[in-house]
Amino acid sequence: MAGYNKKAEPAHAKAESHSHAEHLREKHLMLDPLPRGQMNSMVMESMYETSWKFWVVFAILSVIVAYGLFYSWGVMIAEGLGVAGVNRPSYWGIFLVNTVFWIGISHAGTFISAILRVFKAEFRRPFTRAAELMTTFGLVQAGFSVFMHMGRVWLAYWLMPYANQRMLWPNLHSPLTWDLLAITTYLLSSTMYLFLPLIPDLAMARDRSTGWRKTFYKTLALGFRGTEGEWAHLRNAMNIFAFAIIPVMFSVHTIVSWDFAAATRPGWNSSIFGPYFVIGALHSGMGAVIMVLAVVRGTMKHMKYFIRAEHFDGIAKLMLIISMAWAYFFFNDYMVQWYGGDKWTHQLLHFHEAGPMGWMWFAMLIFNIAVPWAVLWNQKWRSTPWIVFIVGFFINVGMWFERYIIIPISLSINRMPFTWRLYEPGIEIPLGIGTLAFFILLYMGASKLIPLIPVWEVEEGQMAHELKQFGRETVVSVSELE
Amino acid sequence: MIRPEEIKMSTEETGKWGMVIDQDICTGCQACVAACAMENNITFVGEKDSGYGRSMHWIRIERFWEGEYPEVKMTPNQPMLCQQCGSATCEPVCPAFATVHSQAEQLNLQVYNRCVGTRYCANNCPYQVRSFNWRDYKRPEPLSNQFNPDVTVRRRGVMEKCTFCIQRIHKAQDTAKSEGREVVDGEFTTACAQACPASAITFGRVDDPESLVSQLARAHGHGVKHLEELGTLPNVTYFKGG
Amino acid sequence: MADNISREEHSGQVSLLAVFPDLMPAADALDQLRALGISDDQMNVISGIPVTEAMLGRPSQWTNVPRLAAGGSILGFCAGAFLVFVTPYLYPVPIQVGTQAFVPGPPTVVVLFELTMLGMLLSTFLGVFLDSYFPNYRPMEYVKEVSDGKIAIFFICPEESKEKFTKAMTALGAEKVEVAEVEHL
Repeated sequence: MAGYNKKAEPAHAKAESHSHAEHLREKHLMLDPLPRGQMNSMVMESMYETSWKFWVVFAILSVIVAYGLFYSWGVMIAEGLGVAGVNRPSYWGIFLVNTVFWIGISHAGTFISAILRVFKAEFRRPFTRAAELMTTFGLVQAGFSVFMHMGRVWLAYWLMPYANQRMLWPNLHSPLTWDLLAITTYLLSSTMYLFLPLIPDLAMARDRSTGWRKTFYKTLALGFRGTEGEWAHLRNAMNIFAFAIIPVMFSVHTIVSWDFAAATRPGWNSSIFGPYFVIGALHSGMGAVIMVLAVVRGTMKHMKYFIRAEHFDGIAKLMLIISMAWAYFFFNDYMVQWYGGDKWTHQLLHFHEAGPMGWMWFAMLIFNIAVPWAVLWNQKWRSTPWIVFIVGFFINVGMWFERYIIIPISLSINRMPFTWRLYEPGIEIPLGIGTLAFFILLYMGASKLIPLIPVWEVEEGQMAHELKQFGRETVVSVSELE
Repeated sequence: MIRPEEIKMSTEETGKWGMVIDQDICTGCQACVAACAMENNITFVGEKDSGYGRSMHWIRIERFWEGEYPEVKMTPNQPMLCQQCGSATCEPVCPAFATVHSQAEQLNLQVYNRCVGTRYCANNCPYQVRSFNWRDYKRPEPLSNQFNPDVTVRRRGVMEKCTFCIQRIHKAQDTAKSEGREVVDGEFTTACAQACPASAITFGRVDDPESLVSQLARAHGHGVKHLEELGTLPNVTYFKGG
Repeated sequence: MADNISREEHSGQVSLLAVFPDLMPAADALDQLRALGISDDQMNVISGIPVTEAMLGRPSQWTNVPRLAAGGSILGFCAGAFLVFVTPYLYPVPIQVGTQAFVPGPPTVVVLFELTMLGMLLSTFLGVFLDSYFPNYRPMEYVKEVSDGKIAIFFICPEESKEKFTKAMTALGAEKVEVAEVEHL
């Protein structure tokens, strides 16, 4: 996108500092400002211009969703869970693996748009929305997966906190009830948090669209004009959201971990499961964000201007740290379980490593630890989209394996050896692929309907950044605008 | 009937109804399993699903052995059924209150029509005695005429488990009440205990020191409760190696 | 916009708009308007990025969002308290599960936390709607340049001094000064 770069360095500047400043400009989106109008039209074009390849992928995914998700689910509802692979003792299988997986994916959006916003990590600006969208769509898939898991899904509304026809309220002792409350809270609040910063961009899109899109943006922009009052309310609300959604995010995956940790089962009854799951969620979530950004950058028009090597570098550094944290929690959990000396736990740990699914246990460690550690220490590699895409893919496979080991494999071993039996997935496979396809489908649809780049946030950041001279060194400096 | 002011949490070590199972005289004949299935309208899952861990018996005979072939030694058969825990781990985890503690009978109840099938109770049962309706299994023709009218049938997606034949308990209580007396020990028993040709299973009031179960427990003196260390307060006592 | 309505027809006052390319000229223009006798409540600034009041020397905006958030969190807490403290006793016989108390300790904290947060975040969201009068599809004074990063100042001045204000604004760098028109957004 060289055409968009501004080259306006005065000729008398020293050649060396000139090239350094130029290099910094090329590297940092925030130092490479474009007129707002131009950025607006770039974002609009990225939504409008769709190649035939998009529609081919869209059609294929639609077929997969129709068969894998809706038809297969219909079959399972009609036939019962017998068509799935769940059995005694693995009463929980891939459905809950996928639920945990998708909730994990959803944590990345909040991590990026809330934690990085609170700590004013400036590199977040162009992709907060791309990450937040993953949160909402990931939670939709988590919802699908957990409903699939239920034996009588048509009665799922019985879990809502209301008095049913027998005047019975849900059981607040159950971790699953907390889960329902926490995931509902998280889904609602992350959707609202996606929507609030979107309003100004929808207003922008409304001002430069026609036809059905005009109606669409006009309706969603709610009549936003950008008055001082509107901005003040929005700023206040986003501030409250950024702080308040962080504990909600932590609580969601902690409660998900309590579904396991609160149970009387060897291997599950671990007090470190809460933070271990939260870190695991961030691990897979960041891997997924970097995959999505690599695809968005590679396939959507003008995205090479907004999403640059610095962003992959920034996320990849977080991935490396999170991978180390995951390894720490994994080892901590393993060490204490091993040291405890409980015979059932020993059986289980042995089964993890040396059982028929031992390959999965080793693959988990390689994908979650060895792969990111081997690659992400190198700045050049971690700034390269296709390399971090592959690392992100491995991490996601590794984290899926981790949940598979925790749920159906750990359930195979219990205190009643007579019931020990391995789990073999059945209709879970098309259903799982269906949720994945549906996630991608929703994301593709959204990328054509809502501005994927928060243009006003990028402009605000570009206003705040400048190059500053310290002696002979030119450095990037940021002003705090709020 | 219990009145609200009488309600207290049952945390006592001893429940109300209990069972003693003498593993040394159990022959592993599976008569209890068959009787239970007949009494409680348990469906037949067929060979394939049963082989995949989906059998739905509320009581099962666990067979173990020691040593490696050919030096194999059988250990006593272990009938395993719901232990009707006094502090049941399955109960708190159900989001729909489908499995609750009966304060009147000190039993662990399963309310089929409240169950939405999250299967958390089954995961959290250390004895693995809960069975799930994986499908709507078909009943072979003549057998569809032998349903016990005192027990509901369950559809797919619902969890079920041993109830200590609560329908028999209630029937005995109703009969006793109509005759103006207390239920007498040995007046009724569960289907498994009734069917056991070796009388390995005995059922009765564990809170009554004069009942047969209490006497047997005293006589043997070395009864064990399974996984007692988990604090589940099971109400089934096993004798082994007498 | 076929059915534009001009304010002129309705009063002896006229609503003007001046579009500025940058913050500094806009701030100067606001000072100039105050010097010319326009009070702060007769001016309105519209921008495409969140421009703080301090940047333009404007009185700070009153917002109810934090108060509504606090109120919502109290409501959420009360809903949670109803669920955990009241519902277990709404049955003829409280339902016993395991040996846990009818109102269990730690789970109470979890439910109270989730519902407090839910109440707080829902009311924060609702607060933006209430305070900004969203959704509002009535025709409003607006210029599309705003979403291109320009800063627009709307102000009400007497009909007869329209020329004077136009000149003053142009002198301070306004890209265009004209009678503000309501638009169907």
